[in-house]
Amino acid sequence: MARRILHVDYSLCIGCETCQSVCDFLHHGKPNIRIYYTESGLPIPINCRHCEKAPCMNVCPSNAIYKDTDGAVIIDPKKCIGCLMCLAVCPFGAPSYDARLKVVTKCDMCADRRRVGLEPACSEMCPAEAVFFGRPEEVEDEIRRRTAEKIARERISSTVMESIGRIL
Amino acid sequence: MKGMRFAFLCREKPEPTGKKVAIIGAGPAGLSAAGYLVCHGHEVHIYDKLPEPGGLMLFGIPEFRIPIYRVRKGYEELENVFEVKFFPKTKVAFGNGEEEGDEFVENVVNFNELVEKYDAVLIATGTWESWMPNIEGVELEGVYPALDYLFKIKSAKLGHMSWDEVPPIEGKRVMVVGAGHTAVDAAMESLLLGAEKVYMSYRRTIREAPAGAYEINLLKQRGVKWLELTVPVRIVGEYGKVVAVELQKCKLGEPDESGRRRPIPIEGSNFQIDVDYVVFAVGQRPTPPFAEDVGIAVDKKGRIVVDSRHMTSREGVFAAGDVVIGPSKVGRAVLDGLLAAESMHMWLLGR
Ligand SMILES: Cc1cc2nc3c(=O)[nH]c(=O)nc-3n(C[C@H](O)[C@H](O)[C@H](O)COP(=O)(O)OP(=O)(O)OC[C@H]3O[C@@H](n4cnc5c(N)ncnc54)[C@H](O)[C@@H]3O)c2cc1C
Repeated sequence: MARRILHVDYSLCIGCETCQSVCDFLHHGKPNIRIYYTESGLPIPINCRHCEKAPCMNVCPSNAIYKDTDGAVIIDPKKCIGCLMCLAVCPFGAPSYDARLKVVTKCDMCADRRRVGLEPACSEMCPAEAVFFGRPEEVEDEIRRRTAEKIARERISSTVMESIGRIL
Repeated sequence: MKGMRFAFLCREKPEPTGKKVAIIGAGPAGLSAAGYLVCHGHEVHIYDKLPEPGGLMLFGIPEFRIPIYRVRKGYEELENVFEVKFFPKTKVAFGNGEEEGDEFVENVVNFNELVEKYDAVLIATGTWESWMPNIEGVELEGVYPALDYLFKIKSAKLGHMSWDEVPPIEGKRVMVVGAGHTAVDAAMESLLLGAEKVYMSYRRTIREAPAGAYEINLLKQRGVKWLELTVPVRIVGEYGKVVAVELQKCKLGEPDESGRRRPIPIEGSNFQIDVDYVVFAVGQRPTPPFAEDVGIAVDKKGRIVVDSRHMTSREGVFAAGDVVIGPSKVGRAVLDGLLAAESMHMWLLGR
């Protein structure tokens, strides 16, 4: 199958936490995408970005991390030894230790859902359409279309502002 | 351009269970509960007093945050693919008086009769009553609760109201009171609609602002005059219309029960600012679809009380979203709706 990506556009995120909520619901209280609030009060969703050259895959001493046909980076719980090297090298701090299962878990791009033709739940439900899923060129196209809308809106609002003598 | 998939748990309608569920309120809590229930084979009817489903996602939150198509396509899928039946402009009530957002109501359904007709009912009616401070001049023309102000703007944008019914904002001076999401959105919409000057009054400092410093700074960059540590004490009118607002300066005292430092007004520090509109965004209260006793307990803040199954004190009637948790966020309402629906499903099967 062709490579598919799960992409979060931070400039479109409104911090409503819907992604975290649906992920929480599917994973019984342990969401794999979470909103963090920065010192300045900005909400940022943090999740696995399914890197092309995933440092976690390279470092895993038990070869427990693999890529599926869509390009999702997945941890095999049967092989994971819980050493947390993946967390140590992940640029986003995505892997999390599951104290009950005694292994490391993380986002698998909703592998069960993709198997039955559904898409990752965070992307399907995000009200702001800030979480994209699809082939890279599809996602990029969608993002550029949204950017164009944003530029149009800013331009319209700045002409309104100019008419009353203020610069945006 | 895809819609929110409220029925994200499935692709198509499964075998029907024969059970019929009514949901009161088509906001994020009600719609995600509907999504869960249709994916488990239940027939779902949704009642809402507004002309289209979406709740505050469509009628409160500005379009630059949540694109309109995202919500519209979302409920259309529920309707077309999952055969959810929507009853718009239909208020469910028992003894309720006139409430905010009632402009579009054409039918009123008795709450108790509705409960009789269905196997289970979910209340997801949110927090549609705005707090208004008890100060001189709040009755003047030009004073609005923020929800009402934003509701009118969005109703016009959605094509349900003519722009004549929306307060004309272009070239006007607007004072927004508060510093939460609602206040930020009221200030931002005012700017976008061409207000000459927008002020924001907040009784604490930017550090305590519930919307976060980032949002407030963004508004400041766009020319909003941020008046922290101030509280409105009087609205000045002429011929029944707002002409100014009188603010009093505050200082921060000891932390209150919420852990935030309490604002203390400073005697003799009053000053006036000339404005055309005053918009209060100082909180909302839960609005259950009943005002008299229907056997459902509410707490002293007006929130519907539910048990761990999301069931109210009336058997078979469940509740979820902001009407249970108080003003929150879309995501919290979604999760609450999903959890309530899951437990309704269990209860329906067990019965
Ligand atoms: C201006 C504003 C901005 C916001 N911005 C954000 C934001 O940026 N991010 C965020 O996450 N959250 C934001 N919120 C909060 C968010 O909108 C709410 O937490 C969320 O919508 C609550 O969902 P709900 O389904 O419980 O209720 P609602 O969305 O309020 O839906 C309740 C529905 O019930 C209907 N209803 C009420 N009473 C009756 C009745 N008697 N009969 C029939 N129908 C009835 C209403 O018409 C409404 O459609 C904002 C809120 C406001 C007001």
